[in-house]
Amino acid sequence: MTASQVTHADAPSGIAPGASVVFEHVTKRYDAGAKGPGAVNDLSMTIPAGAICVFVGPSGCGKTTSLKMVNRLIEPTSGRILIDGRDVLQEDPIQLRRRIGYVIQQVGLFPHQSIGENVAVVPKLLGWDAKRRRARSDELLALVGLDPARYRDRYPSQLSGGERQRVGVARALAVDPPVMLMDEPFGAVDPIVRERLQDELLRLQEQVARTILFVTHDIDEAIRLGDLVAVFQTGGILAQFDTPDAILGAPASEFVARFVGADRGLKRLSLSRVSDLEPRAAVTGVVGASAADARTRILADPASPWLLLLDAAGRPLGWVHERRVPAAGVLNEDMADPTEAVLTPRMSLRDALSAMLDADVITGVVIDDDGRARGVLTVEQVASALR
Amino acid sequence: MNGKPLIDWNWIGGHLDDIWALTVEHLVLAFIAVAVGFAISFVLALIALRWRWSYAPITAAAGLLYVIPSIALFAILVPVTGLTPLTAEIALVSYTILILVRNTVTGIDGVPIEARESADGMGFTPRGRFWRVELPLAMPLIVAGLRIAAVTTIGLVTVSALIGQGGLGRLINEGLDTSFPTKTITGAVLSVVLAVLADIGFVLLLRRLTPWTRARGVTA
Repeated sequence: MTASQVTHADAPSGIAPGASVVFEHVTKRYDAGAKGPGAVNDLSMTIPAGAICVFVGPSGCGKTTSLKMVNRLIEPTSGRILIDGRDVLQEDPIQLRRRIGYVIQQVGLFPHQSIGENVAVVPKLLGWDAKRRRARSDELLALVGLDPARYRDRYPSQLSGGERQRVGVARALAVDPPVMLMDEPFGAVDPIVRERLQDELLRLQEQVARTILFVTHDIDEAIRLGDLVAVFQTGGILAQFDTPDAILGAPASEFVARFVGADRGLKRLSLSRVSDLEPRAAVTGVVGASAADARTRILADPASPWLLLLDAAGRPLGWVHERRVPAAGVLNEDMADPTEAVLTPRMSLRDALSAMLDADVITGVVIDDDGRARGVLTVEQVASALR
Repeated sequence: MNGKPLIDWNWIGGHLDDIWALTVEHLVLAFIAVAVGFAISFVLALIALRWRWSYAPITAAAGLLYVIPSIALFAILVPVTGLTPLTAEIALVSYTILILVRNTVTGIDGVPIEARESADGMGFTPRGRFWRVELPLAMPLIVAGLRIAAVTTIGLVTVSALIGQGGLGRLINEGLDTSFPTKTITGAVLSVVLAVLADIGFVLLLRRLTPWTRARGVTA
């Protein structure tokens, strides 16, 4: 279990921050005595405020059951669940649910209500007036990237799966819930749309900082989205609860190791970015500069026989082997073998490694946002990130 | 027939008031029957939805009522309730129950499970969920049931002429009794017109109540 500081959020006004969610020895049995499939056994974990925690595992592992116990769609047999220190079992379930965002796989938009009305469902339950509801749903539609003027009066049947999913997220955010429960929300959309929705969720989360409990059976989705990942095992047992990096780096059991897959090293690489590593300095020469000077410097460098040729703005043009650097004259572009492994700061290490393998090189050039060379990254450096 | 035209327009022209009164009587009988039938059916449907085991006996009983021939039902009822509108209404109402209960229950059952689940998850009360999510979504089937009930009832009203009620049915009966086809034809045609108008009325009502069912094909 990861230690976490439980932040007690008593927000005076405005946007409420996320709230911590704590499971304390939570057990759910469907039939007394035997433990049926989907049951949850003695689940304890602490999800800090503002984190995305992904519940992942094979079907029948109790991940959805655990999620639904938070808003009491399912009642635990024993144990406690605390949101921001308050026991959900002590609260009125209807009021509790109105304060918790909820998104399900089939989205569950109401077919008979317009998109605007759908987004404002909970505000309406809470008695907001029509003007305020409309302002709020417009604001949320814009937040999830749907133009309110175009979408608010449409019906769900007129939207694509991805658009409906975004409306579902907007609806769940309607009353600024500190906690959002998402039950395989992207399970029914195609992989390309899913990836985009995942990115949007992460972007959104940067703005709204809710505590999100997210259920999926897809380990890649879990790793991508989760600040924390809870791996469940058939029979409702929490097999491991940790950061994605720790789960990939040190699976707690044979089950977890098998579940995360044989390529877990590569998956770990996808968690880090090029900007997480300090690029090494390379010997560089600028087009038009003295070749003799560059030659002296590259011959003096024991690390690599390759000179990195830059244009006047400092952007990489390619590599020049020390033998091809003339003793006189100036450096020019024709001398260089163009470099294909150009790494941007936001690229994952997995993609960086892939770019180097594709280009058949062991050294990639790291550039900054303006395209200027910042240094180089080698395959060994990338590999060392796993240590 | 002895050289007389099939339709005596002069008679019609001279009895517009009577014809109108019978038409109104016909409509009132049918309206009351459908309204009362719907009220009873709605309650029965709620019971069937609340306690599922009751659905089979309720539909069995409604089905039994439905298959009793109307003439036999009058024969049973007249000794009790006499030759009154009440007798006519009891018979008419009993024929609406089966279709209305069935369509209401089927309509509610057909509400997408995910709409229900998300309603629960967002904090609807069970009652709020029923009135604001399930019932609107069941509307197409409920209105379809009302449509059939209304059209059949308008037709059946004529039969209650047998016990001295029947609106336009009386006109049909009198025409048959006195070999005056004008009355029979007038009654029959108007009864059909009422049924068709009721049918159209319910189609329009459904369009009003369910705008979302037609909102398709807008490109995203």
